[in-house]
Amino acid sequence: MTDILRSERAAEELAAGHGVGDPFAAAIRAVRMAMIVTDAHQPDNPIIFANDAFLDLTGYSRDEVIGRNCRFLQGPGTDPATVATLRRAVADGQDLTIDILNYRKDGSTFWNALNLSPVRGESGRIDYFFGSQLNISDKKRVEFELGDARDRLEAAVEARTADLTQALQQKTALLHEVDHRVKNNLQLISSLLLLQNRRVTDPAVKNSLRGMLERVSAIATVHRRLFQSDDVERFDVSAFVRDLVSDMMGTARREDIKVRLDLERVDIAASKAAPLALVISELFSNALRHAFPPEAMNGREGEIFVGIARQGDNFRIEITDNGVQLENSASSGGFGLTIVQLLCQQLKARSETTPADPGTRVVVHLPINGGHH
Amino acid sequence: MSERPLDVLIVEDEVLLATELEFLVEEVGFHSVGLAMSSDEAVALACDLHPDLALVDVHLRDGPTGVEVARTIHDDCGGVALFMTANVKRLPDDFAGACGVIGKPYSEHGVKTALSYLTVCLREGHAPGPPPVGLELSPAYAERWGLSSALHRAG
Repeated sequence: MTDILRSERAAEELAAGHGVGDPFAAAIRAVRMAMIVTDAHQPDNPIIFANDAFLDLTGYSRDEVIGRNCRFLQGPGTDPATVATLRRAVADGQDLTIDILNYRKDGSTFWNALNLSPVRGESGRIDYFFGSQLNISDKKRVEFELGDARDRLEAAVEARTADLTQALQQKTALLHEVDHRVKNNLQLISSLLLLQNRRVTDPAVKNSLRGMLERVSAIATVHRRLFQSDDVERFDVSAFVRDLVSDMMGTARREDIKVRLDLERVDIAASKAAPLALVISELFSNALRHAFPPEAMNGREGEIFVGIARQGDNFRIEITDNGVQLENSASSGGFGLTIVQLLCQQLKARSETTPADPGTRVVVHLPINGGHH
Repeated sequence: MSERPLDVLIVEDEVLLATELEFLVEEVGFHSVGLAMSSDEAVALACDLHPDLALVDVHLRDGPTGVEVARTIHDDCGGVALFMTANVKRLPDDFAGACGVIGKPYSEHGVKTALSYLTVCLREGHAPGPPPVGLELSPAYAERWGLSSALHRAG
C-alpha cells in the first residue's frame, strides 16, 4: 500500500466517526483559521486532513498536501533553529506555539503563528497531531519595521553624538588655543612696558608706566585665575584679591605697611571680572602709593584693609587705609580715579569715599544681579 | 656673598619676553648664559654650558617642543629645567623631569620671588618653606627639596 493510499485510508477512518451531522467536524472544515491533522502512526507523520482555510493560505490543492509531511511549507528563509524546535516537540509529544516563516505553492512567504498539539487516544498513545496556522505577516512586518526604525534611530543618535563629541573637542581645543594666546599677549604687553620702564629716567613717565603695568598685571591675574578654575563663566573675586595684594605688596617693598583681609567667597560673572579687577587694583594701588608717604610715617605702622562681603542685593567691597587723608588722590593726574568712576558706571556699581579718621575709606557696592537703581 | 652666581639658560621664542626675562634673572642674582629660541638650540646650549637652571617655554620656534627639551635637559644634560608657560594644564604629570612651572602671564614680582626661592633650593638642596604664589613644584622636586607633596600644589 502506498503512503498516499494509507493516508487516505487514515483520513477515511478519521472522517467515519465525524459524519455530516457532526457539528464539530463541520466547524473545523468551515472555520477561517487554517487547520491540519497528521497521522502519528505512519512514518514521517503525514497530513491526513487539511481544511479549506489551510488550502487558501498555502495555495495548494487538497490532493497535493494529503500524505505529505508539512515540511514542504519550509523554504530557504526558514530559521533552522525553529525547525529543530518543531521537530523536538513532535518527537517529545509536546504542545508548541512558535512563529515560523513558511512558503506558499507560488513561492511567496508568510509568517505562520503555528500551534501544534498531540492528540492522544484512550490508551494515552499519540494517534494524531493537530496543527493550526495563523497568518501573522502583517504583525511581523510592523515588528520588523519598528525594529528597523529603532535601529535607524539608534544609528542616527550614535552618529549625532559622535559629531557633537567631536565638535566639543574642537571647541575645547580652540578655547585652549585662545586662552594660550591671550596669556602670551598679556605677557608680551607686560614685557614691553617693563622694557620701556628700564629705559626712561623721567620719574613722571616712570610713574605712568608703572601704573599701566599694574593695570595690565591686574587683567593678567584675572585671566590666569579664570582659566585655572573649572568654571570659566564665574570669577572668584576673593582669590583674585589675594593674588593681587601679594603681588603689589611684594613689588612695593613697604615693610612698614601691613595688609588686613576679610574676604568672603564671592563669585561674579566672568564678563565683569576685568573691570572689577581694575577698580580694586586702582583703589588698592592708590592707598599703597599715596596714603603712606615715607616722610610722614615716623615709625608708625600703616594698614590697608580689604573686605569683601555680601550685603543684601550687593557685593560690598571696602578698601580702607589709616594713612594721610587723600585730598586729590589722583595717582597720575587723577587718571586712576577717572578709571574707577568710568568702570563703576560700566558695572552699574556705586562707590563712596569717606574719611576714616585717620585715612580714607572707599566702598564699592556692586549689584549681584543686573543694574543699580 | 662670594658664591658664584647661578647660571641660567633662557629658552623662549618671544624675543621681547626673553630680553625682559634676562633683566629679571640678572636682578635676582643669576647669570644669564644664553638664549635659545628652538629645541635644537636649547639642547645644544644646555649640554654645552651646563647651566644651573633652564627656564623653558613650551611653545618654541619649532612647535610645542619645550616639554621634550626639559626631558632631555633632565635626562641627558644633568640639568634642572623650570617651565614658564601659559599652558600649565597641559604639562605631563611628571613635569618631564622639570622642577616646576611658573604660569604665564607672570608678574615681575612673581618671577623674582620664585627665582629667589629656587636659588635657595638649588644651593642648599632644601626648600626654605612652601613655594611662593605663582610657582608650582613638580612632585619629584617637592619631595627632593623636603616638602610633603600635599603642600606644593597651593600656588
